[in-house]
Amino acid sequence: MKITIDNKKIKIDKPATVLDVAAQNDIYIPSLCAHPELVPYGGCRLCIVEIEGRRGYPTACTTHVEDGMVVRTDTKILKEMRTELTQLILSEHPSACMMCDDVEGCSVFQGTIRKVGITTGCRWCPKDKDCEFQRIVESLGIHDLTLPGLYRDIPIEKYDPFFDRDYNLCIYCGRCVRICNEYRKSSVLSLKQRGKFTTIGPAFEATHIDANCEFCGACVSVCPTGAMSEKSRKWWGVPEKYEASTCPLCSLNCDIQVLTLKDKIVGTLPPGVPHEAGGELCVKGRFCLSELVNRTTRILEPQFKYKEGYGFVSWEVANEKAVEIVKEVKPGRSAMLLSPSLNLEEIHFAKQFAEKALHTELISSSCINENLLAYMEMASHSVSLNDLKKAGCLLSIFLDGNYKYAPVTMLIKDLASKVIPYCQIGWTKDTTTRFATHFYVPKSGDVEGFLDKILFNLKKEKAKTKQPIITETLAETKNSAMIIGPEIMSLTNCISILDKLKQVAKQSHSMIYMPNPYGNLDGLLALVDVVPFDEIRKKIDKKEIDLLYLVGDSAFKKNPGVMKIIYQNAFPAPEDLQPDLILPTALWGESNGRYLNTDKKIKKSYSVGDRHGYSLPHRQVFLDLAKSLKVKLPKFSAKDLRKEFQLKLKPVPEKIKVPAPSKNYPFSLVQENAQHVYSSLNLSTGIEGFGDLVKADHILLHPSDARKQGFNNEEWAILGSSKTEKKFRVLIRKNIPKGIVLLTSSNGQLEFESNPCPVKIRRDHV
Amino acid sequence: MERLDVSYDKILHAYPNEEGSLIPLLQKMQATKRYISPEMVEAVADYLGITESQVYGVASFYSQFRFTEPGKHSISVCLGTACHVNGGETLLETFERDLNIKPGECTPDKKFDLNRVACIGCCALAPVVKVDNDVHSKVNVIKLKEIWTSYE
Repeated sequence: MKITIDNKKIKIDKPATVLDVAAQNDIYIPSLCAHPELVPYGGCRLCIVEIEGRRGYPTACTTHVEDGMVVRTDTKILKEMRTELTQLILSEHPSACMMCDDVEGCSVFQGTIRKVGITTGCRWCPKDKDCEFQRIVESLGIHDLTLPGLYRDIPIEKYDPFFDRDYNLCIYCGRCVRICNEYRKSSVLSLKQRGKFTTIGPAFEATHIDANCEFCGACVSVCPTGAMSEKSRKWWGVPEKYEASTCPLCSLNCDIQVLTLKDKIVGTLPPGVPHEAGGELCVKGRFCLSELVNRTTRILEPQFKYKEGYGFVSWEVANEKAVEIVKEVKPGRSAMLLSPSLNLEEIHFAKQFAEKALHTELISSSCINENLLAYMEMASHSVSLNDLKKAGCLLSIFLDGNYKYAPVTMLIKDLASKVIPYCQIGWTKDTTTRFATHFYVPKSGDVEGFLDKILFNLKKEKAKTKQPIITETLAETKNSAMIIGPEIMSLTNCISILDKLKQVAKQSHSMIYMPNPYGNLDGLLALVDVVPFDEIRKKIDKKEIDLLYLVGDSAFKKNPGVMKIIYQNAFPAPEDLQPDLILPTALWGESNGRYLNTDKKIKKSYSVGDRHGYSLPHRQVFLDLAKSLKVKLPKFSAKDLRKEFQLKLKPVPEKIKVPAPSKNYPFSLVQENAQHVYSSLNLSTGIEGFGDLVKADHILLHPSDARKQGFNNEEWAILGSSKTEKKFRVLIRKNIPKGIVLLTSSNGQLEFESNPCPVKIRRDHV
Repeated sequence: MERLDVSYDKILHAYPNEEGSLIPLLQKMQATKRYISPEMVEAVADYLGITESQVYGVASFYSQFRFTEPGKHSISVCLGTACHVNGGETLLETFERDLNIKPGECTPDKKFDLNRVACIGCCALAPVVKVDNDVHSKVNVIKLKEIWTSYE
């Protein structure tokens, strides 16, 4: 096919729109609503062109190229019409950033219209200088308004975490609604009402949290104006650099780009052109990373506990003190705890330091227990995310994926909307639920029985009895896939449940995919022969350990009874831990590193921002200490990673009986352990916005359950099982099924005798 | 709430589970209670496998659907060309002030709800106010109070 655009002859091999072809050939056509990932919409009408032989002025984004087409994009009349259209938008869009007498001197003198003695420039809009609409107005050379302006005076929405919405700046291009609908398939946003009363948002006046929003930030990225803005970098201005890196917040290690300004990390986006980068990330990768790195409570200087109290010391003194402590301790009487979010180099040097300088093999992490080892053993047979795309049917088990594993949930939604059967077993309705042919909510005492039933049905060949839908889908489709979420680790009888799932997978020839919430747990297990954390705890109780070396992990709330503690981390230790030496370290984004992800691929992350205070990378700390101790640590090479690792697994332990709900205890309490931890910082308690989404130490109830008991949000409830009674605050969430009470505990301990556990709820009258 | 769910099921299952059922379903739903409640939106969304936002987005586009409970009597003030010229706007403002509600809302005692309509086809009688099915012609501000108190 050959077409002509503005006298330029262009050859085309495959069907495309006029706008795409023009963009590929560096011909600029202004446009506000077009987006490469979305179906053409023709809403803003700025991309109008003239095509010979066609009546009127068709929009380039909705017109497909035809052989011999002659297109003109820049005639006098087109410019006039575009100017007129832009003037119409400007009549409702505040334009103080463009139509100002001082606009030329603005960036130089930072003049302020207010009568105050400061020169900050006026900050009307968070997207100033990074705004697509501003660029179009500039390119059309509009300097005056021809129509009277109207300010709609819509209240600014600030009640949801992570982003603010000022729909006074909205131009109704519909990009946010369409990316939510078409690309992310969450459909949280829609255009409400019509004409001049149109607003954007969830049904009625619901908050985004209630509307099951995943906070992927796709709507914020693609907004061409300042209507949507990230809270954390709202007034920071335009980022200077966009650098590629890898997210360390779960085992998927997604590709991201890091936004920096004056060598400070200000935000993160999925890869791609910043204004087009859609929603490939979860809320943690999109919004939490920059907040984590910029936390004000980070440790900035080394500290030593003198008799009189803590004192700031230089790194030389800190090194001396560390050498003293290490020399004091006899070989084999120390233990090291590592955070599973450290990168491979850091884990390698920590391990070498433990072996060569501390002479100990007791390396663990506070997250490592029998359940986790059993889970990881099964996860070593996990397929890659790419293999999952070939699945013929999908079954997700306890995935609960609104705020995590975004690539997995997006893949589920994508496949399920192409009529691939999808079944879900879990305790929360996430955005994948509406694509599920069957959504099963196991009650207390029902989890194993349910899996037994599936197994029984699978083993029967062509049973004539009525089969549950899940068995049918697993048995009758080729390439079935099971996605198992790590929430399973906090269940009672986890090991035997995993064993049953293994059998189900074997019987139905399903592939399995098992992500985990730790950035580099796969790497930790591939490098280090870890011992379960309980063993270390037992040794401490038996007084067999004198030195505890904590690397990015604060396993204990207070000193468990060891002589010395060295605490090497970026975030402060729990108040009662009282470590003897505190060494501040760099975080992700401040040193280079590699991660091993669930797909068993090595992903690189880069140093993009300045280190805070006097902090040093973990690697540097270990090398300096080793130098002072006159020990040599070998360099890291990827060959050290074991392809296959044998985990010391105990046989399936004896089962604990989980009772079913009864008349006295009608609800099933499910406890999810807070696994969103990065370098000992719990995101639920450490990041305000994330705490709003996954609220620690609250119980979540379905609205109708809450109404029956007369509960309102944030009221105290007493939760009682047959053995224990505890007090929690109530949150009402629509995505909790009826009869289920969901509890997220911040300390990771089980609050009741079993999980799930039958409970009753009553109001606290105090 | 529980009992209401059952009655929705009957309406829902009369229509096939496909996108095209959305508007007829909403119409049937509205016929039961004269307005669409959040629970109805939830039920329709669950049945059709779409989100509540999508249902509400479509429903709020059409003026035939209302989302607030109507009063016992519904007052419609005509703001068509003829009525507008003859002072329809003032009538609406007076109603808003007297009943202390805005168009589309209902009084707290559930007696009246107030609406604006574009034209009811009797421009010769402008300005016109319609209460339930009675059309009041050539209304002025003084007559207004008489009209709505007669329905109390």
